[in-house]
Amino acid sequence: QNTSTISGTVTDQTTDQPLPGVNISVQGTTTGTTTDANGQFELNVPSLSDTLQFTFIGYASATVPIQGRTEIDVQLEPTTISGEELVVVGYGAQREKDLTGSVSVVDVDEMTSIPETQVSEQLQGQASGVTVVSSGQPGEEPQVRIRGINTFGNNEPLYVVDGVPTQNIDDLNSNDISSMQVLKDAAAASIYGSRASNGVIVITTKQGSGDITIDYDASYGYQVPPSGNIYDILSPQEMAQSVWTANRNSGITPGDDEWGHPQYGSGESPVLPYYIDPAGSSQEEVDESNYFLNPNYTDASALSSFFYITRANHQGTNWFDELYDPAGQMNHNLSVSGGGDIGNYLFSVNYLDQQGTLMETSLQRYTVRANTKFNVSDNIRIGENLSYSVSENPTFGTLDEGGPIGMAYREQPIIPVYDVGGNFAGTHAEGLGNPRNPVALAHRARNNEYLDRRLFGNIFGEIDFWQQRLTLRTSLGGELYSGAGHSFTYPEYENAENNTTNQFNSSSYEGYTYTWTNTLTYDQSFKDIHNVKVTLATEANKNKGSNVGGSTQDFFSFDPNFTNLSTGSGTKTNYSSEYENSLFSLIGRVDYNFDDRYILSGTLRRDGSSKFLNNKWGWFPAGSVGWRVTEESFFPESSAITDLKFRAGYGVVGNQLNVDPNNPYTLFAPSNVSSYYALDGSNSTPLLGFYQSRIGNPNAKWERNVSTNIGVDASLFDGKVEVTADYYRKEVRDLLYNPSLPATAGNASQPFVNVGSMRNTGFDGSISYFGNITDDLQFNSTLTFTSYNNEIIKISNTSNYFAQATNRFEGTSTVRNQVGHPVSSFYGYNVIGFWDDKEEISEAQAGAPGEKYVSDVYIDEDGNAVGIGRFRYEDVNGDGEITPDDRTFLGSPNPDFTYGINLGFNYKAFDFSMFWYGSQGNEIWNQVKWWTDFYGSFSGAKSKTMLHDSWTPDNPNATAPILETEGSFSTNGTPNSYFVEDGSYLRMKNVQVGYTLPQEAVSRIGIRSLRVYVQAANLLTITNYSGLDPQIGYHENDDGNANAGGTSTAFGIDEGVYPTARQFRIGISLSY
Amino acid sequence: PALGSLDKQVLANQKGADALLVGAYAALNGQNIGGTWSSGGTNWIYGSVAGGDAHKGSNSGDQPPINKIMDMTQNPTNGFFNDFWTARYEGVSRANSVISLLPQVEDMSDAQKTAYEAEARFLRGHYYFELKRMYNNIPWIDEETTNFEQPNTGETAATWAKIEADFQFAYDNLPETQSQAGKANKWAAASYLAKTYVYQGNWSDAQPLLNNIINQGVTASGDAYALQDNYGYNFRADYDNSSESVFAIQYTGPDGTGTIDNSRQEDMLNYPYGSPFNCCGFYQPTQDLVNSYRTDSNGLPMPEDYNAEMVKNDMGVATNEPFNIYEGTVDPRLDYSVGRRGVPFKDWGPHPGVRWIRDQAYAGPFNSIKHIYRQENASQFSNGNEWAPGSAVNYDIIRFADVLLWAAEAEVEVGTLAKAREYVNRVRGRVADDSYGDGWVDYTKNQPFALATVGSESEMTSLDANPGDWVVRTDTETTFVLLKGEASNAGNWQEYEDPNYTVSTYPAGHPAFSSKESAREAVHFERKLELSMEGHRYFDLVRWGEAKEKLDAFYDYMGGELGFSTYQGASFTSSKNEYYPIPQTQIDLTTVEGQPTLEQNQGY
Repeated sequence: QNTSTISGTVTDQTTDQPLPGVNISVQGTTTGTTTDANGQFELNVPSLSDTLQFTFIGYASATVPIQGRTEIDVQLEPTTISGEELVVVGYGAQREKDLTGSVSVVDVDEMTSIPETQVSEQLQGQASGVTVVSSGQPGEEPQVRIRGINTFGNNEPLYVVDGVPTQNIDDLNSNDISSMQVLKDAAAASIYGSRASNGVIVITTKQGSGDITIDYDASYGYQVPPSGNIYDILSPQEMAQSVWTANRNSGITPGDDEWGHPQYGSGESPVLPYYIDPAGSSQEEVDESNYFLNPNYTDASALSSFFYITRANHQGTNWFDELYDPAGQMNHNLSVSGGGDIGNYLFSVNYLDQQGTLMETSLQRYTVRANTKFNVSDNIRIGENLSYSVSENPTFGTLDEGGPIGMAYREQPIIPVYDVGGNFAGTHAEGLGNPRNPVALAHRARNNEYLDRRLFGNIFGEIDFWQQRLTLRTSLGGELYSGAGHSFTYPEYENAENNTTNQFNSSSYEGYTYTWTNTLTYDQSFKDIHNVKVTLATEANKNKGSNVGGSTQDFFSFDPNFTNLSTGSGTKTNYSSEYENSLFSLIGRVDYNFDDRYILSGTLRRDGSSKFLNNKWGWFPAGSVGWRVTEESFFPESSAITDLKFRAGYGVVGNQLNVDPNNPYTLFAPSNVSSYYALDGSNSTPLLGFYQSRIGNPNAKWERNVSTNIGVDASLFDGKVEVTADYYRKEVRDLLYNPSLPATAGNASQPFVNVGSMRNTGFDGSISYFGNITDDLQFNSTLTFTSYNNEIIKISNTSNYFAQATNRFEGTSTVRNQVGHPVSSFYGYNVIGFWDDKEEISEAQAGAPGEKYVSDVYIDEDGNAVGIGRFRYEDVNGDGEITPDDRTFLGSPNPDFTYGINLGFNYKAFDFSMFWYGSQGNEIWNQVKWWTDFYGSFSGAKSKTMLHDSWTPDNPNATAPILETEGSFSTNGTPNSYFVEDGSYLRMKNVQVGYTLPQEAVSRIGIRSLRVYVQAANLLTITNYSGLDPQIGYHENDDGNANAGGTSTAFGIDEGVYPTARQFRIGISLSY
Repeated sequence: PALGSLDKQVLANQKGADALLVGAYAALNGQNIGGTWSSGGTNWIYGSVAGGDAHKGSNSGDQPPINKIMDMTQNPTNGFFNDFWTARYEGVSRANSVISLLPQVEDMSDAQKTAYEAEARFLRGHYYFELKRMYNNIPWIDEETTNFEQPNTGETAATWAKIEADFQFAYDNLPETQSQAGKANKWAAASYLAKTYVYQGNWSDAQPLLNNIINQGVTASGDAYALQDNYGYNFRADYDNSSESVFAIQYTGPDGTGTIDNSRQEDMLNYPYGSPFNCCGFYQPTQDLVNSYRTDSNGLPMPEDYNAEMVKNDMGVATNEPFNIYEGTVDPRLDYSVGRRGVPFKDWGPHPGVRWIRDQAYAGPFNSIKHIYRQENASQFSNGNEWAPGSAVNYDIIRFADVLLWAAEAEVEVGTLAKAREYVNRVRGRVADDSYGDGWVDYTKNQPFALATVGSESEMTSLDANPGDWVVRTDTETTFVLLKGEASNAGNWQEYEDPNYTVSTYPAGHPAFSSKESAREAVHFERKLELSMEGHRYFDLVRWGEAKEKLDAFYDYMGGELGFSTYQGASFTSSKNEYYPIPQTQIDLTTVEGQPTLEQNQGY
């Protein structure tokens, strides 16, 4: 064979730095290589008259005819766009300029510089079309939505990592990512048809190249939580005062039986006691030597023998500060990579340790990765991409009134953390309500351990034949996951309501998913203007797993080294469950490109799912076209418009994620809590009983998500400005939903039926600018913009809404999902002011068709006004009285739009970057106010608003209604607009300054490059939201209608967030 | 394939029918189906709280849907009604599952199948009975129904006859005795059939049937129906399924499930607050109920003017301040029905007053007691697997005293007043004499868990006692509680005397049984006393047509005289509040082509 060897160096045009990893190919062949770490390359070419193509992400590609030379040095011009970059789409890659579907390409460097621990959190604001809502808790999975909400169930996108589909990238090491694309419309995503309904995020991990390179990155961050009187809580003295005020406002006066308080006496003004337990005691009344308490009691009857002594904390305990402290975050990443003609390799090790600012929360994760590829011969390649992770992630429930986070705003400040004996203090002290000591709650979780392990990746083989026109690839990918752990429930003693059992709980899960994909690709150009690529594929997917767990009660000792399932003497329980489902697909795709001007793409996919019985199979077609106007001869050459492409696409993708595998069948099951019964009167052993557990629907079929997209890509001013914009419309038809059946059908699980419908429309796009201000100073910026407009079209044949999230409004809901409105809309009465005086009430009452205008504000038989100072609700339907028909939509947590702004400067060896993220037009239901702003809600800590800014005759323009002892319909008793706030915010998520040491300096100590940086995250947030943090995370603890399919349909309810901490970080990146 | 569940075919045998039947019984407690307390089997909310026996209790912000039931301002969107409806129709559905399975079963004789069907129809009758008296207009679903959007008015709603038919079938086909104590037998069916007659005012059918039951009835275990020796035994797990228990919900103590779902979970809120029971201070008896137990000098009740004097309470008196109990005469059933300061709270010691009350100003000074387990056998009959306890104390849906008092009613209406007096006296006779069983509630009940039993003051003051400890003194025959301070100072101890019980039967010729009207009043009042806090009161008031009169008077007394704001301005609306509203959720769910198939009840 007659080949020649060419060598050379590729450098950056502006910095003269060598560029490692540049792709070099011989035009019209598959021959190619990449530059090594020094930017050098060596390549055998068929002929010295060939032309070389240099492509590299972030640089304009260069086409260089060899013209007989054997040494060629090339300088690449940096740019944020090129169009030549390869974008990994379904089952293959395309040049960006050939894309006809809607795809967001994520700038991985920008993304990974955000000091979050999960890729999905880092993604926030980095890609148009993606909405990410996360919380401050380490390891907490954020809510990721691509172009809105597609179902009442699981809305998480599909992730495809190195060709392997998965729902979970929690443990992916972001340092391993080389590229990330978001496939937003059906034309782009439909090749993943069966699971692409929620959008697809395609991730490729790094490959090695060139000489051995060792990269080491390390950073240390210091996280600082908010501090101070976060919840605006009253001091103990003010709290006591509020009791007196409430009583007086409610008509109770000194001398009445009801007057007084166990702690504050019964005088004209309240007096803080020296001891709160025994309640209201003075220092003389209590002999502290009587104190007796055994925190590790084993018999519930011991509780009544304890003698509690707790001093009042007159300064007030700041429970938030007691729970939260600054915490460290550390990240180490080491990788070794290289490659050459025979293949390439990359090994990496990552250690991540994020301590939570909330005590006893953290994330520790170890990840190792091995990616290798071997060129067995010119036309055969085999390889693998594998990662193994081990993580431990103790957390507490967020947005939850009952956990440590919730108790931090509920426990009264007069209660100290500890009693006189150093044990926990709490609401055992009378008259202080029933919250639990949040520090105790968190502390009792300290020995709990759960370890998650996951092996994820694939092995693949590729063979080219027919002169490399055909490539056959087979890939077996998947994951093997397992986890196990244990927790201990300690008995409580310090609260008004105590758990008195001690219990050890153990649980584990394991399972696997595999995806076996075979693709055959035909890629050929005809006459240099017809480019055809055909892909045929089959894919088989199976998911199988199980859960097992148990508990034991009554331990002789609570020593964590002693407790296990075997060593307790009391009740033992156990459980297990299994699941299994599978998919099979046939896939075809054709891409045709005429002269780089007209681009056509079509996909057809047929999918089968084991979750369906009579309608297993569905067809999913998609097509798209692109027109690069600038390639037309009639288009004037202009530097203003370098490239302009119009795109349009239409397609259908399927969904079956939410369907239970048992959905087709009518089933009966035993349940020891629901269908067992002690029919023999034994008092101890319920007998086996069965009940109908499920109503089957054998006719369920694939849900279809039909989407249309039109878009434009433009490159302006010599590529300095790049614009991408898309308008889309998605309609989910045959939406699988399990509408409630009337109770007369029994209480068995209702089947999923293809009954609902939903629509999303929206606009998303990005603009980026890259330019040199001076030779030494470069500036780049990117703005991403995301919007969606969600509307429910149909829910079921018998109902046009379903309600969720009752919170503390027992029996009524804060969220209503109704036809014509977006998912998770807030619903209730609209507060239009206060009832200021008797005249206002009698006027309203006179016009009411019934006896009263509203049930709890009226003129009574004796002519006295009841309810002055309470909320006045809007009479929405104008019938002269307040009835349930006057409830109205009060907003929704869906933002009008979200946006991200990346700004970057490079000055000589310095780099500076900044990232802002904003969310606009989303409402938050601030349920924390229910607890703190109303005396009549559960007794507990209350806000300064309640005492100082509630309605009085002298303060008619107050914030809160009149301070009274009991709640009522017109205050806190029913969902109303008092709780709804604008949740818009703009946050400076990241600001970073880096310095790359001069190469001459570092090369003397054998280092190729060294960069150091300092960074600050979440420094500044601009918002009108009165709660702790407008980024409230995802509502996980929905207590609403179980038929609504999880939490996707009730979010945006703030019942205690884990706040995002400010973080200060230093780091280095070095490369040998 | 389906994992973890079975197809109905697999159940088509006797074992499967047994298991489905157990499942149909398991819905009696209403747990894990609708709500917890909102759908429970004991009707403490809809029967007792609504009927004025008890406040909701706790504080005003807790469980607000019950507030609306307390003052009769409930509306159709109140989720509690949907929970109750859902749980009872699940019961109907489970009973129907048994009936529809039987034809497919091959290893049972026709006679066996008929007996199983009778048991299932008994249970279905029960679930429908509960629905009927709650909502009145209800759709009928049986084993043949395939369209579940049935209307609740019109022909399908002739439900009394259908409920009667179910109980009649059960009466005709159930055996007298059963292998398991919790099963319905022939006489349980007869009693429930009688109850359906009573609720319809069908006295002519009720009277002979009730007499028959009283004379011949036996429990599922074969014991002849009889009142237990001691009234209090009806509220003790160690006396479950006694001769007085006609049909009961069976509850468990610790049962291996690690939950309290089978352990009278629906009453989990109803324990004294800040007490050894932890939670939650609901279901607090009203002063009105407590006053009802006052007796005149002859030991007889005062249905007309029981509220003329108040049984003294400890409102506004701190637990560490002295308080002496009411000295007037009362019926001993008071202290088996109501927990009040200074009186033994079962065997948990003298009730400490406000320390066990969550919000006295809101819901008064009393606690409910009937469902409370005893300390002596708490490890066996209480269940601590939740934030509030479960108990193994059975709830009698029908107990024999109930049957006797229906019979008394029937005698008043269509029989003889003498017979009515005889039945009432049988019920009163048990409590009129403290020599039955283990006697009345007195200081000796405090003995088992007292700090000490001593014979003198000096012995007492030399004890190492902490505030709250109690001591039984044999010399004074009273209980002493250390209120505060040093035990050595006798002045720090509070002495609690025994309540002043005076109760007797109606003597022959007593004017109460001289006329139909006065006898009716006496019998009705006796039901209040005997069956208080057992989920019956509101339904009794409605069927007697006395709800408006009695409840309005109750609201006036509680709200006006005593100043409980809950009841201020409350009133019972006739032609509306006799029934609860059809749950709005169910109306919404049965809307076909824009037209609801369920019709809302009058006035809602």
